Amino acid sequence: MTGRSPSLLVRDARRSIPLYLMLLPALVYLAIFAYVPIWGARLAFMDFSFTGNYTWVGLKHFKTLFSSPIFGSVLLNTVIISGMKIFINFPMPIILALMLAEVRGQKLKKTVQSVIYLPHFLSWVVIAGIFINLLSLNEGAINKILTLLGMKSFPFLTNRTSIRWVFVFSEMWRSIGWDSLLYVAAIIRIDPEVYEAAVIDGAGTFRRIWSITLPAIMPTMVTIFILNLGFFMDAGFDQVFNLMNDAVMSSVDILDTYVYRMGLQNGEFSYATAAGLFKGVIGLILIFGTHVTSKKITGKGVW
Amino acid sequence: MLRSVRRLSVGGYANRALLLILAFVTFFPIYNLVVLSLTGPKYIAAADGLSIYPKGPTLDTYGALLSTPKVLRGLANSVFITAAGVFVNMTLTTMAAYALSRTRLPGKRVFMVFIIITMIFEGGLIPDYLLMRKLHLLNNYLSVILYKAVNAYYLVIMIRFFEEVPISLIEAARIDGLSEARTLLSVVLPVSKAGVASVSLFYTVFHWNEYFRAMVYLTDPNKWPLQVILRQLIVGSDKASFLGALSYLKYETGAVQIDMKALKAGVIILAILPILMLYPILLKYFAKGALSGAVKE
Repeated sequence: MTGRSPSLLVRDARRSIPLYLMLLPALVYLAIFAYVPIWGARLAFMDFSFTGNYTWVGLKHFKTLFSSPIFGSVLLNTVIISGMKIFINFPMPIILALMLAEVRGQKLKKTVQSVIYLPHFLSWVVIAGIFINLLSLNEGAINKILTLLGMKSFPFLTNRTSIRWVFVFSEMWRSIGWDSLLYVAAIIRIDPEVYEAAVIDGAGTFRRIWSITLPAIMPTMVTIFILNLGFFMDAGFDQVFNLMNDAVMSSVDILDTYVYRMGLQNGEFSYATAAGLFKGVIGLILIFGTHVTSKKITGKGVW
Repeated sequence: MLRSVRRLSVGGYANRALLLILAFVTFFPIYNLVVLSLTGPKYIAAADGLSIYPKGPTLDTYGALLSTPKVLRGLANSVFITAAGVFVNMTLTTMAAYALSRTRLPGKRVFMVFIIITMIFEGGLIPDYLLMRKLHLLNNYLSVILYKAVNAYYLVIMIRFFEEVPISLIEAARIDGLSEARTLLSVVLPVSKAGVASVSLFYTVFHWNEYFRAMVYLTDPNKWPLQVILRQLIVGSDKASFLGALSYLKYETGAVQIDMKALKAGVIILAILPILMLYPILLKYFAKGALSGAVKE
């Protein structure tokens, strides 16, 4: 793309006019529906008014935000929920991929795989419905099993501690299969001869996994882990929004649900935009941070 | 030697058993809802999360759902929004991807940066909402149809697929006098079927599952897609307000009685049904599409 002389470039550009015209609708769309809202986020530094005459107020909304006691607990909830999900769920698809790789029979493997990808395609509204049914106090499968075992049923969805574990497990249920896909693909790319040689040398299953498979999929692991960290501030709006209830509000209210409530329910547009922008800026720092780290460790950036 | 072989096979069985359990744990909660939705009125009170087959099976729950105007409208809205949305998505995405898959397009890098920035920066919920308000799109289907009309990730995947089309094919078409648009339609799209299929499936699932923006932008409940109706029912409303007073009376006192439990299960299954029907194709293309985007950086 570089080494072309200016005259050739002009010629290419002129010939490409039909191509530019085909590209135009997408660019116009993004300019309006992606860039205008980005520019619109400066509302965080202004006072909103329905007449459209916004006035600059500097950091006023951020000051209110940082001194609000709710904001502190919202931030803490975001970090705890996101942290629990990332650290507990991160190894799961890796273990699953390793287990799948050990299965020789294609039939069982295919069957298992085609079942476990399904939840990835379901909306969080549907998944919330499934988990509410699964965890219902009197009739849910989990509490039925607990009572059969002689234990008391437990209000998983309305207990302030257990609801966070519901987030962890519903996320696991939804994405363990799908997330294993990248690792399965990475394992397939390993040369089978390396394994054969190891078996001849007398290496057992765990030895092979430890010395061959894990090092081979390490770059994939690192990339996915730092990608997860980059999205740390998204503790999973749809999941929390559909599973939250008044009884657990104080332990599940995260930044995104707070922005929704403040902005669209209470009509405090500027304040909510400030909270959203705060989240966005932290997210950006994390993404750029992970991009740089990723480049250092694996030689590949996030984008 | 013998011992190690035996130990391996024990581990092998344990491994298989665990995988089967995982598949079961994934499948059963969905299956249980199918059971509940099909259980007859006499048995529904006793049916629970462990029921494995519908006693006194009946389709009455689905009959009731499909004669509830709210559900029918929701279904129609979902189908309309998804169809229109995917049409817009694919038109914008394939045209842009076609242009950007050409190596000699001057300014390609600048355009790519312009597009990729939208993957990283977002205005956020409130600025999005205020834009819709300013454009007078609130309570207009367009607000939902146009939501994420160009998804940068899917656009990049589409570009990757188009880059695989041999340039000689495109040049031959151009020499034959075909316009760029014609070349895209009758040469590039037919040979990139797998790419077109996977990206349009991505978009289809996205639109079908979208509930939040519909809830926020569409103030008239008559315009709500099924997911919003489902959410309203699950997050808490009674049977009367859900079915509407008239049908409620019919189903509460008439010959056909519908239980709330069966009703909820039925709506969830209705909302999953299209995904289940697409699932075999999804499996075929999605895995490929997702991987091709990820593997080839």
